Amino acid sequence: MKEKDFYFNKEQGHARAIKIIKEVRFSEDSRDYGYMAENVPCQDGCPAITNIPGYIRCISEERFGRSYELNRMYNIFPGVLGRICSRPCEKRCRHGEADLGEPVNICHLKRSAADLKSSWHRIKENLYAPTGYKIAVVGAGPAGLASAHELATLGHKVTVFEAMEQPGGMLMHGIPEFRLPRDILDLEIKNILRLGVDLELGVEIGKRTSLKSLLKDYDAVITATGCMNAFSANLPGEDLDGVYSGLDFMMRVNNGERPKVGKEVAVIGGGFTAIDCSRMAIRLGASKVSVNLRRTEENMRIDEHEKNEAKFEKIRIYGLVRPVRITGKNGRVKSMTMERTRLIYTPEPPFRKAVPIENSEFTIPVDSVIIAIGQYPETGFIDTKIKLDGHRIWTSSDSYRTSVKKLYAAGDCVTGATDVINAVANGRQAAQEVDEFLIRRKRKKRIVRFEASAPSDRKRSDDFIPQVKLPVLDRNSRFKKITNEVELGYDHESAFKEAKRCYLCNLKFEIDVDRCIYCSACIDVAPRDCIKLIRDVEVKKDGSYGDYEETTNWRNVVAIAIDNKRCIRCGKCVEACPMDCISVTKVELIEQDLEA
Amino acid sequence: MADVDIVIEICGSAGDGTISSGEILSRFMSSQGFEIMSFDSYPSEIRGFGKCVAHSRISNKKVLSPGKYTDILIALNNAHAISQLHTLRETGIVIFDNKPPNYLEEDQSIAGWIEPGMISYGIPLLNLSQKASGSARGRNMVALGALAAIFGIDGEQMKSAIHARYAKKNKVVIDSNINSFAEGFTWAQQHVTKVDSYTFGHSKPKPSKEKKAIINGNQAVAQAAIDSGLHLYAGYPITPATKIMEIVSRELPKKGGVMVQTEDEISAIGHVIGAGYAGKRAMTATSGPGFCLMSELANLAVMAEVPAVLVNSQRGGPSTGLPTRNEQSDLNIALFGGSGDSPRIVLAPTSVNECYTCTTLAFYLAEKYQTLVIILLDFFLSNSIRNITTPVPPKANQLNSNVAPTKTALKDYKRYKLTKNGISPRAIPGTPGGMCISTGLEHSEHGHPRYDRNTHPAMTEKRFNKIQGALSEAPKPRWVGPKKNVDIGVIAWGSTAGSAHEAVLNARKEGINVAFMSTVILSPFPVKEIKKFSEACSRILVPELNYTGQFANVLSPHLSRSIERLNMVTGLPISAEDILEKIRDMAR
Amino acid sequence: MPKKDHYVIIGNGPAGNSAADAFRANDKDARVTIISDEAFSFFYRHKLPQFVAGNIGEDDLKVRPYSVYKEQNIRLRLGQCVDRIDPEEKILYLRHMEKVGYTKLVIATGGSPRILPSLTSFEKHLRFMTGYNNAIKLMPEIQKAKTITILGGDLISFELVKALRTMKKKIFFIFYSKCFWPVELTGNMSAKICANMKKKNIEAYADDTVETLTEKGNLYTLKTASGRTFKSDLVCCFLGLVPNIGYIIGSGIDTERGVLVNEFMQTNYKDIYACGDCAQIYDPKLKDYWISIGWSNAGLQGKIAAMNLLGSSKVVKPLPKSIRDVVGIKIQTSWWDHF
Repeated sequence: MKEKDFYFNKEQGHARAIKIIKEVRFSEDSRDYGYMAENVPCQDGCPAITNIPGYIRCISEERFGRSYELNRMYNIFPGVLGRICSRPCEKRCRHGEADLGEPVNICHLKRSAADLKSSWHRIKENLYAPTGYKIAVVGAGPAGLASAHELATLGHKVTVFEAMEQPGGMLMHGIPEFRLPRDILDLEIKNILRLGVDLELGVEIGKRTSLKSLLKDYDAVITATGCMNAFSANLPGEDLDGVYSGLDFMMRVNNGERPKVGKEVAVIGGGFTAIDCSRMAIRLGASKVSVNLRRTEENMRIDEHEKNEAKFEKIRIYGLVRPVRITGKNGRVKSMTMERTRLIYTPEPPFRKAVPIENSEFTIPVDSVIIAIGQYPETGFIDTKIKLDGHRIWTSSDSYRTSVKKLYAAGDCVTGATDVINAVANGRQAAQEVDEFLIRRKRKKRIVRFEASAPSDRKRSDDFIPQVKLPVLDRNSRFKKITNEVELGYDHESAFKEAKRCYLCNLKFEIDVDRCIYCSACIDVAPRDCIKLIRDVEVKKDGSYGDYEETTNWRNVVAIAIDNKRCIRCGKCVEACPMDCISVTKVELIEQDLEA
Repeated sequence: MADVDIVIEICGSAGDGTISSGEILSRFMSSQGFEIMSFDSYPSEIRGFGKCVAHSRISNKKVLSPGKYTDILIALNNAHAISQLHTLRETGIVIFDNKPPNYLEEDQSIAGWIEPGMISYGIPLLNLSQKASGSARGRNMVALGALAAIFGIDGEQMKSAIHARYAKKNKVVIDSNINSFAEGFTWAQQHVTKVDSYTFGHSKPKPSKEKKAIINGNQAVAQAAIDSGLHLYAGYPITPATKIMEIVSRELPKKGGVMVQTEDEISAIGHVIGAGYAGKRAMTATSGPGFCLMSELANLAVMAEVPAVLVNSQRGGPSTGLPTRNEQSDLNIALFGGSGDSPRIVLAPTSVNECYTCTTLAFYLAEKYQTLVIILLDFFLSNSIRNITTPVPPKANQLNSNVAPTKTALKDYKRYKLTKNGISPRAIPGTPGGMCISTGLEHSEHGHPRYDRNTHPAMTEKRFNKIQGALSEAPKPRWVGPKKNVDIGVIAWGSTAGSAHEAVLNARKEGINVAFMSTVILSPFPVKEIKKFSEACSRILVPELNYTGQFANVLSPHLSRSIERLNMVTGLPISAEDILEKIRDMAR
Repeated sequence: MPKKDHYVIIGNGPAGNSAADAFRANDKDARVTIISDEAFSFFYRHKLPQFVAGNIGEDDLKVRPYSVYKEQNIRLRLGQCVDRIDPEEKILYLRHMEKVGYTKLVIATGGSPRILPSLTSFEKHLRFMTGYNNAIKLMPEIQKAKTITILGGDLISFELVKALRTMKKKIFFIFYSKCFWPVELTGNMSAKICANMKKKNIEAYADDTVETLTEKGNLYTLKTASGRTFKSDLVCCFLGLVPNIGYIIGSGIDTERGVLVNEFMQTNYKDIYACGDCAQIYDPKLKDYWISIGWSNAGLQGKIAAMNLLGSSKVVKPLPKSIRDVVGIKIQTSWWDHF
């Protein structure tokens, strides 16, 4: 001890130099969660709570590997989801708010992190000590694989049972290769399996082994069997040759078959699968492909990117129609009769319902019909008494626990057909719940992290960079080979440029009211209406602050406040402040290891 | 070459850079050979949100008035620009910021007020400025850039003009101004579809063979004073005369002269009289309120017969009044503001050119006639930028106009000798034998105080008589139009003369039998010429910018006839249209 | 004081103007405002070709002078573009960043140029003439051009060809007879049209389509499916109109191809009606939705929309399908006779 003291006394200057100036605080205050949800909307919009500003910032610093890892902490398929995510985050992006231009291309940036990271990139896994527990996961789709990975890192021994001959679930069988090249998927699945996850392919539960025996042999079982049954439209003539269900059609194509579609194809339904089927039909040689909606184009649940790609491939979208019957000749489909619909208002979401208009039938000639109106889970393999919720497996609220002890369920088999990011998030959370059940305490928790930060180097001019469009294949090259990937990905430069557009909402600029002298120097340099004279502030239910009530009357001013919802993080106010009373804090919602 | 006569107004709030961008525009367009008549109005408060308007008439023909109606309005501030819309022509054009940071409430945007037939070009001024310079300060330059692009002004040349304007500032300021301009220029080129027919593109005047100067009235006065051998400038700053002091303070020391900023106006005129007594040319410049303070001591120059040049750039109202507005209401105090019978020479230039010639003349006359010479400018003339032929500096004989005593006279030197023309030869202090007394008391020929019944009448008469000589040395009143049988004669003075001249020319085109006269010298009064003019006209109109018709009041006893008046005190310069309307009324 | 009603009409065409007149005629006090993104008066669309060719002036184009609006106390906000509608708050957001509130709204924004999907990739090289804004842009270009290619086919294009002939321009006409707008051509009509055009020294080709269009130094090179190559100074595209509703999508007002309205011209909001070329109505006889086309139809619908907004309940009747009224010309089988 003495020696150490001596050393520090002697080398005081040095000691000061290595003093850690990084001050980090953590919070579990509901107000801080509220702040995060309000002020970092993209992260709040992501089911997996991915640290989006964090990984975009890494890209603008050209640290693609770090960016990939930031993603992978919450979502083990960054390369996959960088291509096919339904992008709930982009709908919430500040940049897409009215009159601020278009949202940051968050999804494509995620892909660029995966594409542009170094080829000898080091994967980081935070591994816990082995626990000795054995867990079975049924289904190697996104939810199953995500839960398997999480369980493995937590030290459990995991076995994944998959009925098909290949892992990946809908990623492998449902999504067309022109949207998701299989080598990307294979690589990311392999990285999961490297943790020692056993994968049993071709094992259908209920045939070679039963759920009952799994429950007996394993400490816990998670079912993540997805939605593998297609809804039928209950149309007369649905059994004719040339009438496909969307799911079946995609699975056959993805397994190497080339079903005959003919020249004129009518797709029924307006989801991702319907659009995938229509685009695939064009690639299979159809010349006239239509997507037929009961409601209208603006009510489709898919994002604009997909819609525009489909239109570019000459697919016509018709709204306000409903199939009535399919008629054929010699067992082969020949025509389809439809009727018109009109929209009526419903008080519940989705607020619009299509009702048929009487006596409005018309018939169109078709060579094939693809019905893609939705899927539901298969529950036939469950050989114990279990509570169901319609077609779906029931779980207790805010939990992944089913009515059967030790049996958990995650993904589409619980929620109905949703999207991949939801499945991944669900799988991971289910795994953590199983872990808590086995270990009897929480080992990871979401927490708000505060760290003093330098003002960013964002410039106002960065706000005017238009959204960098992702390069795509021209029309002719798309159709040369069914598997040609349509979207080409960003290069370094465009990824860097797009990343600069991010407002970095995770940087919180704050004026210390006690030290502010109300000189309004910051307001003078404010790039937009981001610094406000306020008379009051809304306090939300969770205690966090909401909107500011502004005033122009100095008599009523209680504070000068920075509206982080309008802030572009240019740091001009910090430079201008004569009192140095504006602080910049990096605020992040992260998963904290409670063991540490 | 098509005729171009376009009035551009830039309207913004204090701090938007309205006036400086207007100045850049006017100077640049003058340098391109266009005739310019510019006028600024701005609030007197240094900081705040008052309305600033930079008004500039640009033509490839001679222009005499600032123009009443605006063709192109650049709105840097919605609220102010909306209040300026009433002067926009029915087919006028508005350039405005179409991307303010927030949605404006209904009717708060100028774009919503555009009448059918007007054309609006929305330019994201704020965004482009922030893009180019990182701040909102470049909005004015973005607007200029857009203006240049839309109306066929050479962008590259204008860029160098902006560069020159800010040459003395640091690089950041230069760059952000240039970049903002360039951003506005390219944006407008790419995004604006021109649907109007205003353009400067096809009508650039041929470069003139004469050397041109682009200056305003204040600059002309300052330059003329320096060229006339000014030795001492003493003054106290006051709008709109401060600029004269600024220029002199920069330029005069280079010529070996001295600029003194005194503690007040009284001291300033004291300095000037002191220097004049010592034989050096000296000047002060002020505005109405300062002029009042000076008027007492100014009498000393009259009484002691000391040369002194006093510039009064008039502004509006009594007391502090309207510091940044235009008026011609100091005529009375200039002519009659002395105590006792206090004759002085009063000159009122009617154009920037004349600002120069009047100033050189003022020094000449002050020295020769050993008295106070007042130059009456006004806010408009002081600040209005014009493109004028480079003035000819005064000749050697003008630079020394002192009537020195002969050697014989110095044997018994009478400083205030009663001569035939009233001018007593003046010995500069230090001249051997020229020792004398100079005093503000009434004095004998030797300068000794004397109050007897003969001296004061003789001396008073001498002081009045001597300045009559100035009439023949000052420019003759200008007579435009027929020499007899005129229906309406318009007599104008000062900055109003230009508008009146233009109005008369236009009225004549309309077939109205009208003539025009203006005079630069107001005291002594050129009675002969004006009487002649009056006799040729059946009716006389005097337009002027004061409430009482001060010039008309001076005129009427001379002419002994009734005079029709057009008196305006709006604070704005009178426009040719206003006068033309009055003429039409009278002719009806 | 209660706030006056504010009737706002988006669009300054025949539908918008007849709606405005109907509002004013029935409510003397209310504020009536027409908002249009064109900085020009209500004009005759069919006269645009003659205007662009320089044969008639702006005044000939105007349907009525501005003074009429002054007298009627109808406020014209011209050159102002509505960016979005908030039907819940009843606020219009204009592009120049101004909010305008309304109590009742009529959407009559007409059409914007129709572009076939096969043409979208070189859209930037195409010129249109669907309104004053693009016509005024086109005007100097047409004056300069020596050879002009016209794609597509609609009535305006024929008018333009007529006008261009008086200007002695070389014309190529690639006639998309299958996409003819607003009615389908039947039988040998397209062949007849082509033959007539050829007689008048116009190089017309029916049923060919453009494959590529490239620009180099203001010269456009055009290759067709059948291997023809054209070089011209200008390429104009005439494929008629599609409802101009881009700014409405996502606002909550239901749209499909056009703004969906019921037989009373009412949208799914009770204070918002749509009429003219942008409204889409279901017609039981057609068993289909249809979109009104043409001048007098639009005017009629505008009046009906305004009257219904004021409380009556008039039903709009479609004109018979075979004879549609287009810019005052009754389309019948003989209408191309002047070629």
